[in-house]
Amino acid sequence: MDNCEYCGLLQRDWQIVASSEDVVIAVKDKVAVLGQITIFPKEHFTIMELVPEPVLQQCLILANKASTAIFETLGSQGTNVLIRNGLGAGQDVPHFGIEVIPRKEDDGLNLRWEPRPLSEDEIEMTQQALLSAIFEAEKGRQAQHNQGADKPILQEKGRTNYLIKSLRRRA
Amino acid sequence: MEDAKQMTEDQIKLLQEKMKQMSPAELAEFQKQQCLFCKIISGAISSKKIYEDQVCLAVLDIAPASIGHLLIIPREHYSIMPQVPDEVLGHIMVIAKRLSQIMLKALRASGTTVFAANGGAAGQRSQHFVLHLIPRKEGDHVLDFPEKIIPKGLVEKVKAAVEGRLFELIGVKRAVSPASLEADSNASGPKNRSSEQPELALAKSKKASRAKPERKDIILSKRKVNSAKANYPKTKVKSTKKNLTKQKEASTANAEDIKLDDIANLFK
Repeated sequence: MDNCEYCGLLQRDWQIVASSEDVVIAVKDKVAVLGQITIFPKEHFTIMELVPEPVLQQCLILANKASTAIFETLGSQGTNVLIRNGLGAGQDVPHFGIEVIPRKEDDGLNLRWEPRPLSEDEIEMTQQALLSAIFEAEKGRQAQHNQGADKPILQEKGRTNYLIKSLRRRA
Repeated sequence: MEDAKQMTEDQIKLLQEKMKQMSPAELAEFQKQQCLFCKIISGAISSKKIYEDQVCLAVLDIAPASIGHLLIIPREHYSIMPQVPDEVLGHIMVIAKRLSQIMLKALRASGTTVFAANGGAAGQRSQHFVLHLIPRKEGDHVLDFPEKIIPKGLVEKVKAAVEGRLFELIGVKRAVSPASLEADSNASGPKNRSSEQPELALAKSKKASRAKPERKDIILSKRKVNSAKANYPKTKVKSTKKNLTKQKEASTANAEDIKLDDIANLFK
């Protein structure tokens, strides 16, 4: 895709560590810490929700190998594996990717968060909201299955996923 | 587990003595018994469960970064991610994706952060590998960090430093894992290629579901992979820009077709 940093990166041999048919392991030039490695699908998918599951699985498995390699070769004391999925999560490249970040004590990188105190009610409501969404999703899947798997999913026009829209605008 | 719950000081001393004499395997077993997440899995400690299957479960974090912050916990005890077998990791990734879809919809999140910490220096606080799934909203400043541009020379240095070991790690798999010929007809025998960027002979889906027959979760993840494959065309996105990279994909759906509801339908 035009102007996509990761799609463009595919042309830059010096940044690509390895690639499979579907997935690329690369060293970006914009990083949190030196030694950071990025794993992303070759095909342009904006967010995780759009990446086919087999490709997604391969991405994380390769990220895990990269994590081990970083740990053993760069003298790091740990690694973080991070996916920023969607604008709200600070995703700044409109192409899904996994970051593997080498860590050292006192490297100055703060990847912790302040625990957010929640009331019992909030917790209860959140749990219910998630559980019923999962239930609905399961019901939808069943219904779809009964209709015959080959039929296209019913379209609801005019409703675009906000994330896709906003990411495309940036692309 | 019950022993650990009601220990007197004498018992603790006795245990410490015992631990010194334990073999690494016994010690690992003992650590499992002490692990908070293993207790959550066994039900000894209560939790707000959102999802569970044979391989993992997802619970609400008790010290969340945001409302709906989930932990995806493998049932098996692994201290860090590198210990997690590919099959389990692949399964957890799929669950994370599906739960992420659920979050975007049910919690009106405008993004999700998937996060794992390996080692104390990386901020890991538990002895049990967990994958964090954090619903996000713009401007919430969870996990914000500055980035810098590094020169080409350093990029090349990093590449040179890690590639050898990385190839070893993947190369081992290359010998074991079947090539993805079945999945893609134009795969031209990646094993025989001798380009500067070695193609990793990772099977498209077999990679994640590579059989290890004694485990039932593998069968599960294989099933998931297969079903994911079947659903693949529905989740394809088509770029409206002129240069479609994959024109050959006749099944490319319009981006307008993709709604969270549809994607969530894949949830099993």
